[in-house]
Amino acid sequence: MTAPEALALLGIGVTAGVLAGLLGIGGGLLMVPAMVLITAFDQHLAQGTSLLVIIPAAAFGSLTHHRHGRLALRDAAALGVGGVLGALLGSVTALSLDDELLQRLFAILILVMAGRMLMTRGQAPEPTDPKAT
Amino acid sequence: MVSMVSSEDRPNPLLLAMIGLAAGVLSGLFGVGGGIIMVPAMVLLAGMGQQRASATSLASIVPIAAVGALIFGQADSVSLPAAAVLIAGSLVGVQVGARLMTRIGDDRLRIGFAVFMIAIALTMLVS
Repeated sequence: MTAPEALALLGIGVTAGVLAGLLGIGGGLLMVPAMVLITAFDQHLAQGTSLLVIIPAAAFGSLTHHRHGRLALRDAAALGVGGVLGALLGSVTALSLDDELLQRLFAILILVMAGRMLMTRGQAPEPTDPKAT
Repeated sequence: MVSMVSSEDRPNPLLLAMIGLAAGVLSGLFGVGGGIIMVPAMVLLAGMGQQRASATSLASIVPIAAVGALIFGQADSVSLPAAAVLIAGSLVGVQVGARLMTRIGDDRLRIGFAVFMIAIALTMLVS
C-alpha cells in the first residue's frame, strides 16, 4: 500500500463513517464503490475488504446495544444461523462471477438503494444504527 | 406476508432464519452487511420494533460478515492493510456522524446522498 493510497483509504473510512452515522446506513454500500473508483481495487477485492471492515463495527455496535439490554440474543442467533448459510452461498456465487459483471450488479444494487432512499423522504428519521447495514 | 405478522413478543425463529438467509446471500454477494433488508424484514414480517430489529440485525452481521470475509480471504480478495486503515477512519467518522445527526435536517441530506449514489452507480456502469 502506497502512502497516497493509505491516505485515500483513511479518507474513505472517515467519510463512510460520517455518512453511516448521519444516515443510519451501512458502510459497505459506500466503501465498496469508493475503493473501486478511488483506489482502483477490483470489485472482488473491494467487497472482501468491506466484509472484514464491517465485522468490528458491527461487533462494537452490538456490544453497546447488549449493555443497554436492547439485544435479543436468541433472535440474533436464529438470524445468524440462516445468515451464515446465506453468506456461504452469496460469497461463493460472487467469487464465481466475472469482476466486471459483479461491478455492474453492484451498481444496480446502489440504484435500488438510492431509489428507496428517495422514496422514504418525508418520513421521520428512524433510530437505525450507524454501520448496521 | 400479512399472515406471518405475529403479535407475540418472541418472533418465530424459523422466520428469522429465513430473513437471515436472504441477508446473508446479499452480504456475501455484494460485500455489505445485509441490514438493509434484515431490519425492514424484521419490522414488517416478524413484527419487531425498529430499535430491537436494528440491534439484533447488527449482532447477526458479525458472523455473516465473518463467513464472507473468510471465503473472500481464501480467494485472496481481502486486503488486510486496507481494512485496517478503513476501520481506523470509520471509527472516527462514525463518532462525528452520530454527533452531527442531531443538528442537520436529514431530508435534504438524504436526497443529496441518493443523487450522489446514483451518479456513482452510473460511473460504475460505464467504467
